[in-house]
Amino acid sequence: MAQASSDLTIEEGQGTRDDRIMKRVFLSPTVFVLLALSIFPLLWSLGISFTDIQRGGSTTARVEEATGETGTGFLGLDWSLSARNYDRLLHDSRLWIAARNTFIYVFLGVTIQYVIGLLLALVLNQQFRMRSLVRVIFLIPMMTTPVVVGYTGRMMFDSFKGPIADLLRHAEVWWAQVPVIGSDINLYVPWMTETKWARFTMVLMDSWQWIPFMMLILLAGMQAIPDDVYEAARVDGASSFQIFRRITFPMLLPLSATVILIRGLEIFKIIDVIVVTTGGGPGSATESLTMYIYKTALTFGNYGYAAAISFALLVLVVIFSTLFLGLIRRFIPRDQY
Amino acid sequence: MKRRSRRSTLLIYFVVIFWSFIVLFPYYWLATTSFKKPLDATRFPKYVPFYDFQPTTEHWDYILTQRWDKTSGSFRNSLIIASGSTFLAVLLGSMAGYGLSRFKYYWKRLRWRNDNIAFWIISQRFLPPAVFIIPFMIAYVDLGLIDTHAGLIIAYTMFNIPFAVWIMRDFFNGLPTDLEDSARVDGATRWKAFYRIVLPLSAPGLVSVAILSFIFSWNEYLYSLMLTNAEAVTLPPFIAAQNTQRGVEWWYISALAMLAIVPVILFGLALERFITRGLVAGALKG
Repeated sequence: MAQASSDLTIEEGQGTRDDRIMKRVFLSPTVFVLLALSIFPLLWSLGISFTDIQRGGSTTARVEEATGETGTGFLGLDWSLSARNYDRLLHDSRLWIAARNTFIYVFLGVTIQYVIGLLLALVLNQQFRMRSLVRVIFLIPMMTTPVVVGYTGRMMFDSFKGPIADLLRHAEVWWAQVPVIGSDINLYVPWMTETKWARFTMVLMDSWQWIPFMMLILLAGMQAIPDDVYEAARVDGASSFQIFRRITFPMLLPLSATVILIRGLEIFKIIDVIVVTTGGGPGSATESLTMYIYKTALTFGNYGYAAAISFALLVLVVIFSTLFLGLIRRFIPRDQY
Repeated sequence: MKRRSRRSTLLIYFVVIFWSFIVLFPYYWLATTSFKKPLDATRFPKYVPFYDFQPTTEHWDYILTQRWDKTSGSFRNSLIIASGSTFLAVLLGSMAGYGLSRFKYYWKRLRWRNDNIAFWIISQRFLPPAVFIIPFMIAYVDLGLIDTHAGLIIAYTMFNIPFAVWIMRDFFNGLPTDLEDSARVDGATRWKAFYRIVLPLSAPGLVSVAILSFIFSWNEYLYSLMLTNAEAVTLPPFIAAQNTQRGVEWWYISALAMLAIVPVILFGLALERFITRGLVAGALKG
């Protein structure tokens, strides 16, 4: 939608006194709230990341207090000291595992969710009976608490008493009767207990919840494509697949880039589902970055180090989203985006 | 439109039925588990009540009567906190959205115009919450906000505002300005034109912002976990905590989970049109 314009729009210094007051009064609370609750904590967090503040105070601060110094726990401007948290971060193997896991979650999750979301959107874009009811049903997981998604997933994927394992056991029995396949088939899957499977299960649970989001947005994008474009293609004798490849998909690209970015940033913060399913295990195989920060702060009580990790995370997020935006700008014309 | 072939019609129905099953089966499982006796829930999977297993209402009884004070406590906390932050987000978000839609701002120092301000606001939504959690914890202890409703309302408002501003700005951009103009010609002040004309017309936008904020606050986990410990615990951490006592008691967790998701889902479904509109507005421009 174009920026609304009317003769009411006020340039700097124009408009009645009322207008000018309203202009300021309407925006300033939000700006103030965001500055107070977002920018200020952000800077403070940066400060904390250079201290050794822990639960129950900072060791450096206690030494400083005892010797009559200021007692802030600030590690000083000496780089070797103040960057201690950041130095530790580089050598923390558990952190690197968490980082790798998070990237796996983002990459796999976004891919699965985009592909299936697009497929479902294509289906819902067709006319069929009870379409609006079906759309409503498909949206339900999005409104479910992630904690509940995690618990439910844990029941579903339980390798012994879960219904999925049960189904696979039955499949084993059926397939064993097929002569060529034979009887030595094993469909036991360690959904939550084996490293690679556990990560994949996390992705599946996140996808179950968020495919509807992809579907919804892509569907809206499809419905915004004018009908006459399709008509023209059909007159030219294009098949449905050609129409999808040459029209629907390219016209959805800008929107796709946006949802992929949104979803990627959201998966980056994944924690709830993992906490209630594997708790980060086996070992730290499924731990995400957010979860590691939470553990560092709450379980180990090391606020300074947790702040340093969260800052590194922030830098990563900014770098990757900038790269991603830059990349799509090259492929999608500016005016479309 | 061209008539679809029989094969693709079949394919559509197959996908629809298959995916409906994937979506609904876990809820079915959750619902039935809450009526299973412990033995039925922990051994081989039981699917159909009265056929596979004899349902029992004792877990619901336990949660709704014997432990009602605890359950209702976190339920009430969730309700208060979600409503509070939703109210603030709608209020502040619609104001800022209107401002960004109808006035021209220019901040000389950064050469920021409306679009830059709007982008700055939405970008706040995408910062990892983990970055803010440490200063929030430290500040909340000092300010006495830890484990209070006000504390979580403030924190959630911060996360709800960006979406609220974004959706409302878009909504106001789509509202024709003619009505406002004519009201002003008739001598109404701008302020009066806002609350007499614009506000009633923007009800759908306000509703979608309210639902989204409410669902987000209701489902949020990390902040509630870190900033509360007893008095103000909301449902998600309360449910998550069930797994430590006496092993995982699936039947209680399932009942609690039903209690937590049924209201939001009903609420969301009743107003599904609005959510769709809000989300689409947010994403199309986001």
